[in-house]
Amino acid sequence: MISTGVLFMLPEERTGIAGWGVYIPRWRLNLQEISEIWGFSPEQPRELGVVEKSVAGIDEDAVTMGWEAAKNALKRAGINPKEIGAVWFGTESKPYAVKPSATILAEALGITPYTMATDWEFACRAASEAIRVSIGVVASGLVKYTLVVGSDTAQANPGDVLEFTASSAATALIIGNREESAAYFESSATYVTDTPDFWRRDSSKYPLHGEAFTGEPSYFRHIVGAVKALFEKTGLRPEDFDYAVFHQPNGTFPIRVARMLGFPKEKVLPGLVTPYIGNSYNSSALIGLARVLEQAKPGQRVLLAPFGSGAGSDAFSLVVTDKVLEKRNKAPTVDDYIQRKHIISYALYAKYRGLINRVR
Amino acid sequence: MKISIPPAWRTRIHRYRLVATECKDCGRAFYPPSQICRYCGSRNTEEKELVNEKARLITWTVIYSAMEGFEDRRPLVLGILETVDSKVKILAPLTDVLSGELRIGMIMEPVLRRVKEDCESGLVYYGVSFRPVIK
Repeated sequence: MISTGVLFMLPEERTGIAGWGVYIPRWRLNLQEISEIWGFSPEQPRELGVVEKSVAGIDEDAVTMGWEAAKNALKRAGINPKEIGAVWFGTESKPYAVKPSATILAEALGITPYTMATDWEFACRAASEAIRVSIGVVASGLVKYTLVVGSDTAQANPGDVLEFTASSAATALIIGNREESAAYFESSATYVTDTPDFWRRDSSKYPLHGEAFTGEPSYFRHIVGAVKALFEKTGLRPEDFDYAVFHQPNGTFPIRVARMLGFPKEKVLPGLVTPYIGNSYNSSALIGLARVLEQAKPGQRVLLAPFGSGAGSDAFSLVVTDKVLEKRNKAPTVDDYIQRKHIISYALYAKYRGLINRVR
Repeated sequence: MKISIPPAWRTRIHRYRLVATECKDCGRAFYPPSQICRYCGSRNTEEKELVNEKARLITWTVIYSAMEGFEDRRPLVLGILETVDSKVKILAPLTDVLSGELRIGMIMEPVLRRVKEDCESGLVYYGVSFRPVIK
């Protein structure tokens, strides 16, 4: 059982989410366009449970999206950026292969120079591991706050089934002490193995995937492994949680993994954002958590379980505090960004995402 | 196009955080920043960040014949705005808008965006653009 005495608090119990923020680009591609252009079944988008995907504009990338999510997180946290001691950027679509994106973010947000700043890589789970490490460095007192950003302009080979869902969005979390948090952590667990489900080799423009490996041996096995480890560690059960947020590569996998673990669909739907914007990779589960924080009541318990190919999953148990109410309206919500949309053609999407090669 | 690294590095904070100059003698502020007041010539100035301020759109233009390095951005929309609190006039790209959506007097907010890049292997140059306020 989780101890409650202050002296015996676990690292997780001393930390929480002081601020959160998201960003979704304005542009959307209706997935029927992909079906028509590449000759997929018209039923493909419905089978994936996704209607539209968000598309980063010609002047956007993982850094600019992460910047706006972080600005929103700072508004909700209400802190001086200089108090942040680590800027950790989780992405698999960073603008530079060599040159940290985290330093651009830290400079643009006014956090430099006395801070750690690093880009993390673990497919869609990089930012999630940065959250687990944040718990350690904040609980130990090494830093007062960390800024964790999950941001991706997800790539997909044109005509690959991945193209239906690979989208663009960012989520930022400021991890700080429990006392000032909108939700505090109770416990966390991680489950990783070497699994060849999805990869992109150095200098390859688009990722490849191991077809049958993407479901049972990777997504389901790792999320179930991490969540069961969390249950084992805490004694908690599905009925103890009010919301469950999983990595959401499409609109159906999160419902299936919830069923496997014993969660009803109703606890998953509030945090399921992929049907509206697609899979935003490092932001995928975190944007679902943000949407839950924008509707949960103080005292409610949330399960968060991001996943990344390669493969691994983390499970976090969080409890919402009354501070969520005062922070919620200090920045645009997930739904504000979902509603701010304009549908574009496949041609414009191809131009924005660099699918058209032009001699320059 | 070749982005010169020294000025790109020197101006990065001004571009990222929209740093203007405020004159301690005449009280006026202006952008881009300078150590000497543009209005009274005083050297008694200090920096002032405007990145958290909203701005009012004064006018804009749509460029269809974009200069080298900006061809992918066509049509390029540039606006002149005045920040709501500090009353600083700024020339900046406008983004996330369709041509029929712009109105004189509309309130916009600064966002960090890619301004230009040196081909696929060169430097990426970030700066502030303005877009209609979300909330």
